[in-house]
Amino acid sequence: MQATELYGRQLVLTPLAAKELPAETQKLEALHVTAQQLQCQRCGSLLDRQLAQLPRHQFYCYACITLGRVSTLTSLYHISEPNDFPKKGELTWQGQLTAQQAACATMIRHQFEAHQRQLLWAVTGAGKTEMLFPGLAWALAQGWRVAIASPRVDVCLELYPRLQAAFSNLEIALLHGHQTDPYRYCQLTICTTHQLLRFREAFDVLIVDEVDAFPFAANPRLGHAVEQALKPVSALLYLTATPSQDLLRQVRRHELGLSYLPLRFHQQLLPTIKVTLQARWWAKLKVGCLPRPLRRWLADYANRGQRFLIFVPRVAQLAVVQAAVQQAYPELKGLTVHATDPERLAKVQAMRASNVQYLITTTILERGVTLPGIDVIVLGADDPIFSTAALVQIAGRVGRSSERPTGLVRFICQSYARPVKRAIRQIKLVNRKGRRLRASMPVVSPLD
Amino acid sequence: MPACLLCHRSTEPKISLPWILSWQPLQQPVVCQACWETFTPIFSSQACIGCGRAQTQRSLCHDCQRWAPMAFDNRALFTYNEAMQAYFEQYKFKGDYRLRQVFRAVLTAKLVSIQADFIVPIPVTPDTMITRGFNQVTGWLNDGENLSWLRTTDAAKPIPQSHKTRQDRLLTAQPFELSPDAPDLRTKTVLLIDDVYTTGRTIRHAAILILENGAKSVIGITLAR
Ligand SMILES: [Zn+2]
Ligand SMILES: [Zn+2]
Ligand SMILES: [Zn+2]
Repeated sequence: MQATELYGRQLVLTPLAAKELPAETQKLEALHVTAQQLQCQRCGSLLDRQLAQLPRHQFYCYACITLGRVSTLTSLYHISEPNDFPKKGELTWQGQLTAQQAACATMIRHQFEAHQRQLLWAVTGAGKTEMLFPGLAWALAQGWRVAIASPRVDVCLELYPRLQAAFSNLEIALLHGHQTDPYRYCQLTICTTHQLLRFREAFDVLIVDEVDAFPFAANPRLGHAVEQALKPVSALLYLTATPSQDLLRQVRRHELGLSYLPLRFHQQLLPTIKVTLQARWWAKLKVGCLPRPLRRWLADYANRGQRFLIFVPRVAQLAVVQAAVQQAYPELKGLTVHATDPERLAKVQAMRASNVQYLITTTILERGVTLPGIDVIVLGADDPIFSTAALVQIAGRVGRSSERPTGLVRFICQSYARPVKRAIRQIKLVNRKGRRLRASMPVVSPLD
Repeated sequence: MPACLLCHRSTEPKISLPWILSWQPLQQPVVCQACWETFTPIFSSQACIGCGRAQTQRSLCHDCQRWAPMAFDNRALFTYNEAMQAYFEQYKFKGDYRLRQVFRAVLTAKLVSIQADFIVPIPVTPDTMITRGFNQVTGWLNDGENLSWLRTTDAAKPIPQSHKTRQDRLLTAQPFELSPDAPDLRTKTVLLIDDVYTTGRTIRHAAILILENGAKSVIGITLAR
């Protein structure tokens, strides 16, 4: 095994596999066993003795087994990070930041320099990737090792080509679970948060994008992964459009700094959510009858040719809603699409190309899909399937383009469920900040 | 509520009639019904009498007709399908020892239904005990240990079985030997247990060794075929 493969990493090896390692390799305990406790040293999980047992009084970690099994039959092998990056890739991106983006970018750079921990609450469509570039360029020029991680593979896959284009002379490693390429030691790594469990004191700067996306929020092991992958002196930046209660709590306890980017790249506020209460919307739709407000909106869309998305809580509801819409407005052309739909990409493309006027969908389109100039309707926004974060993201689909920076976000609910209320409140809060920011910078206009 | 060992969703506590009639015993289910139904049981009335594979009638299959006749037949509980392959990937190759529970009850029930003098699991090599840490067959039966009077020779498994082609495996030399404390096998019936019957070479090697040492007959039981 090459030494570079172990730089800043912690790899699990059996004694048989660990025979020929570089001399500087450190061997660390993989599973810590005491009379009271059993703790995996890679993922930090406290394990149930009974579930974790192997024959001959050995134990293994069942919590992080998808990354290869940690057990008392193995050790973790590590070489401390030498920051051995002779060739530095500089920023080749030629784009321009808006004044607010530039201000934010400068702030991010200062946080990196000062080794701070920060939460950047940037509204959807703020252009946060571009704002990272100056800070990244600075950190890379210092010879620092940097990682950008996200709980979601699709976010990583989207980030990789953008970063590669922005730093075209830099070798970037992309790591995720479905990958077969061999590992490469690179100054910049883009990976899923799960893959961070394979690192130890590696990164001078770690950026976690879409920090509130499933499954990071629900998985305490990944918080452990972040801590373990960071060097003792390092900078950590969380990026989110919809901070969880837990992150905001960390802010209140001063464990995290907080900064806002409340305006979208075109200087507009987020569209506010308009809620219409309808006690029996589903019962009506089931028998092919459109609730009155919905009928009114659709008539207007049919008239103006306005494109729109309808979100429903469940896959099984897609066909029912479509049938009702089609019956009432046969001139409206649309498709249904869900997470495991094999034609998902083609259908989204059809929408993007304006071959159809609407899509009816489940939550899958909530992140990462940009359809300029659309309106959004959420049926049953009070269904438990929609979290606050999901609702804010759904609202964020609207008003993404400079040509049509506004748009309508309408929820039909039976009641004001807590996530609905929180989503409305979050949007109000960032818009209040956005208004103040605009007022304080009256001369700013969007750059092209 | 307990979670399904395979899909990690919480298992339904209610017990339905098909569930009772299925192979799954009535104790606390360790896998959910949906996962359990991805495995395909083999019925002896529709299986090869030589290797236990599922087929339309009870007869000797094409592959088995090529083996020299001997006092050995194999019975398999499940067809080796995609779900079974995924199970072995997780249990045997990833080493998730918790998954021994998935087939423990159904395999134990099968064993008590057969009359035999000795029950002998196919052993794994000492290297496997160092890396995997358990014998996947005895994991189902009792403690995952590798102690048996049937043991592997030093020459056994130079390459992992799963990496060999059928041709390689058929050519492999006898990988087993009896330990000095083996009992007197004369006139006895021995039940050999293995995980998967693929070419049959491994379990037949063990059967030949046992028959050469005087056993009257050997019955193979494999989880999958
Ligand atoms: Zn672990
Ligand atoms: Zn299941
Ligand atoms: Zn056969």
